[in-house]
Amino acid sequence: MHDALVSKSGYHKEIDQALDDDFLRRTLDTFAVSYRANREAVFKDVDEKGLIKKIADAKDYACQHMEELYSKFKAEAEKRGVHVHRAKDAAEANRNIADIAKQNNVKRIVKSKSMTAEEIHLNTALEKEGLIVDETDLGEWIIQLRHEGPSHMVMPAIHLSRYQVADDFTKVTGEKQDTDIQRLVKVARVQLRRKFIAADMGISGCNFAIAENGAVTTVTNEGNARMVTTLPRVHVVLAGLDKLITKLEEVLDAVQVLPRNATAQRLTSYFTLMCGAGQCQAEGNDNGRKIMHVVFLDNGRTEIAKDPLFKQIFRCVRCGACANVCPVFRLVGGHKMGYVYIGSIGLILTYFFHGHDRARILCQNCIGCESCANVCSGGIELPRLTREIRARLNAEEGSPIEGTLMSAVMKNRKMFHNLMKFASFSTKPFTGGTQFIRHLPMAVLGKHGYKALPALASKPFRDKWSQIAPHVQNPKFRVALFAGCAQDFIYPEQLEAAVKVLAAKGVAVDFPMEQTCCGLPLEMMGQRKTSIDVANQNMAAFRGGNYDYIVTLCASCASHLKFGYSEILDGTASMLEAQSFGAKIIDFSSFVHDVLGLKPEDFNKSAQKVTYHASCHLCRKLNVHEAPRELIADAAEYVPCEEEEVCCGFGGTYSAKFPEISAQILNKKLDHVKETGASRLVVDCPGCVMQLRGGAEKRGMQVKVDHIAQLLAENLK
Amino acid sequence: MTPQELVEAFSAKAQAVNAVVQEVPTMAAALQYVVDVCANKAPAEILADEPGTEKGPLGPNKQPTRVQKIVAAPQLAEEDFALLAKSCEEKGFLCLREGVRKYLSGIDVGVGLAELGVAASGTCLCNTDNEDVRLSGMISEISILLLKKSTIYPDLPSIADKLRDRMGHGEPTYTTFITGPSRTADIERVAAVGVHGPLELHIILLED
Repeated sequence: MHDALVSKSGYHKEIDQALDDDFLRRTLDTFAVSYRANREAVFKDVDEKGLIKKIADAKDYACQHMEELYSKFKAEAEKRGVHVHRAKDAAEANRNIADIAKQNNVKRIVKSKSMTAEEIHLNTALEKEGLIVDETDLGEWIIQLRHEGPSHMVMPAIHLSRYQVADDFTKVTGEKQDTDIQRLVKVARVQLRRKFIAADMGISGCNFAIAENGAVTTVTNEGNARMVTTLPRVHVVLAGLDKLITKLEEVLDAVQVLPRNATAQRLTSYFTLMCGAGQCQAEGNDNGRKIMHVVFLDNGRTEIAKDPLFKQIFRCVRCGACANVCPVFRLVGGHKMGYVYIGSIGLILTYFFHGHDRARILCQNCIGCESCANVCSGGIELPRLTREIRARLNAEEGSPIEGTLMSAVMKNRKMFHNLMKFASFSTKPFTGGTQFIRHLPMAVLGKHGYKALPALASKPFRDKWSQIAPHVQNPKFRVALFAGCAQDFIYPEQLEAAVKVLAAKGVAVDFPMEQTCCGLPLEMMGQRKTSIDVANQNMAAFRGGNYDYIVTLCASCASHLKFGYSEILDGTASMLEAQSFGAKIIDFSSFVHDVLGLKPEDFNKSAQKVTYHASCHLCRKLNVHEAPRELIADAAEYVPCEEEEVCCGFGGTYSAKFPEISAQILNKKLDHVKETGASRLVVDCPGCVMQLRGGAEKRGMQVKVDHIAQLLAENLK
Repeated sequence: MTPQELVEAFSAKAQAVNAVVQEVPTMAAALQYVVDVCANKAPAEILADEPGTEKGPLGPNKQPTRVQKIVAAPQLAEEDFALLAKSCEEKGFLCLREGVRKYLSGIDVGVGLAELGVAASGTCLCNTDNEDVRLSGMISEISILLLKKSTIYPDLPSIADKLRDRMGHGEPTYTTFITGPSRTADIERVAAVGVHGPLELHIILLED
């Protein structure tokens, strides 16, 4: 078994190797782009969000009624001649299956793809018993020949080239094999047909176990699951207890999403429902019936089902979409972005099934861009759960020094803000009077040298406020600004630009001085206790102001203030306040576009070519798409950019933890920006400004990177 | 959707996943189509040992080919099967109604009856309870499904009751939804058809 997760340094080393793998990079890059377009096309003919909601509801219900559904399934399946077992853990499931093989005098086993079998390392266990086990899904067979684990849940061999496969097939057949893919596929057809015919037992996974009639279902494109479940005299199904579902309709809803999400297909070539031990005329089965067993695996599932937050992981239908859209997976592949289970859900499942040591390293590797949550078949809040695991691991096992230090500083707003001011003063010698810290030797920066680091402002916004606070007569709205650390201490000019626009359009603006960091960086570091402290401080800072809105220019702060506070304060006395506080939060673009209703006639449209980067939290958490683009087009010449809604690689503390990955994502983004020919790039988030401006500066690009508020302020009539 | 729209939608979606869709007026014409397809194809490769079978020259995958082609049609009504068997005999093909398991190394054409079609994805729902029916759709190089136009439904939810009814009587069932031929993209994500199952899928649309 491939295991990159032996140590933190070992993990970073393997990430470097993956980043140097040109084939992997090219394959995953092409896939990421084509998948996005194909997925969009096949979802056009169904109600995507409606179906996802139905899947989530059906799976949530099943999770809460697991025992009831298990009993019902067992009764219905037994009625139809199937033996049903229940294994408490991996060892017991492996034992059960080996026993079934022995009782039926089985020597050779063929398997169709099962992630649950990977979870319990079934092949290894059966081989130890002297059984011959052959995978029959093409990709699974290839990685079995190479003694590797899958690198994607539905495309297990996506990391391999035709040349590697041809070498493996040459070895296994003893004949030189051509590298033509069509031919290689047929080599598998010939070799595996013989294995199907010779096998005594077939093992399949199961996408859904339907309680109302005891049926199990599989979806495949190759047709190997049909062969596995038809040719041998014995059929064993391995299913996690989370595969139980109440009724047939729910499966029909789910299979409209699963293949669309997995491979952008409307339906896979084969979707089979096996309901009972049917006809089987294989030699050795005297009564002409299949010997059929279903083994349900618990392995901690009944405990997870009781967890109020993590029970939602059972909505997963193993489509792999969370990997397909992940900017980190796109760079490093599944062997680094998961252990047995791959992608965002893999980070979470590793914590539950494959040990806290691996999970501690792995769960850091989520950039928090929300792309996965946006496409998940079951609407699982994947990045939130990953952050929760960080918090739980810190609570259970102590937190690393960086997080503890951050907590110590952030707990006390005055100390934090004084430190920021001191940092501004003490880094002055390194700025050379520019906006960047220029004079740090590369040796200090190491892997962090891919972007120019911003200098802190000489005077933070909070210290300027008393001078610039506007006086608006008969205001249309009363709003408060939430600054966020980056704008308060690094980019106060962005806030000043926003104040100019707001005041000019008759909005009274206030700036409550007691506000502090929104707390998202603490969440990213798993510092839950302090993150709750700062949430309460912020709500107190805005309490009693009676504002119509709380406007923020930072998309990440906005999403955390709006949704994150209710999540982390759930079940506490502050919950109600968190909700009403959240309801007032609005991002700057939406406020000026949707609420103030700024129009083309409010601007002197400039001829400047301006392109846009959609910040992750703006487009996916706040679901804001049109407002900023229309505003740019009102104020200047808007030039769309390729992959505009793909992450810039910042991810807050992520870029400090994984600079090697952050740099690559940034590079791609800047390549796209360059292709637009625009002389200016605007965004809705100071974090993205820091990343993109720093990267553009480092590359010497002739493009000005600004907050959208600056563009609007400049061109306002 | 009108019946004609359902047929058009079904055909378009099935063709989009590489199925060949053919409208024919009568069962006799459908059976003739089966015989023609078999006559025009290269003989099936024998992918595994099959003692006693006469072997022809090597096929594209360097496996010996059948000297006598094989058509399996376990689901046809008696008189239809008789008609097909007669035409096959004239052409020198072996025509099977049962015992497909003897030919797991590969047959030329498998003929099946689709219970209904799903227009949204160009899918055929097949009752494959019978092992010979299931096998003939799996191990044939060309799978041909006969589908009555009047049994095409818009989408999966619209057939839920029919499917439930099939599975709800305590007898074992094996239901297969088929959407195009066997396919894979497991090597470099390059599409390839005919991995383990049929290399081609033909759907014959019948008038009622």
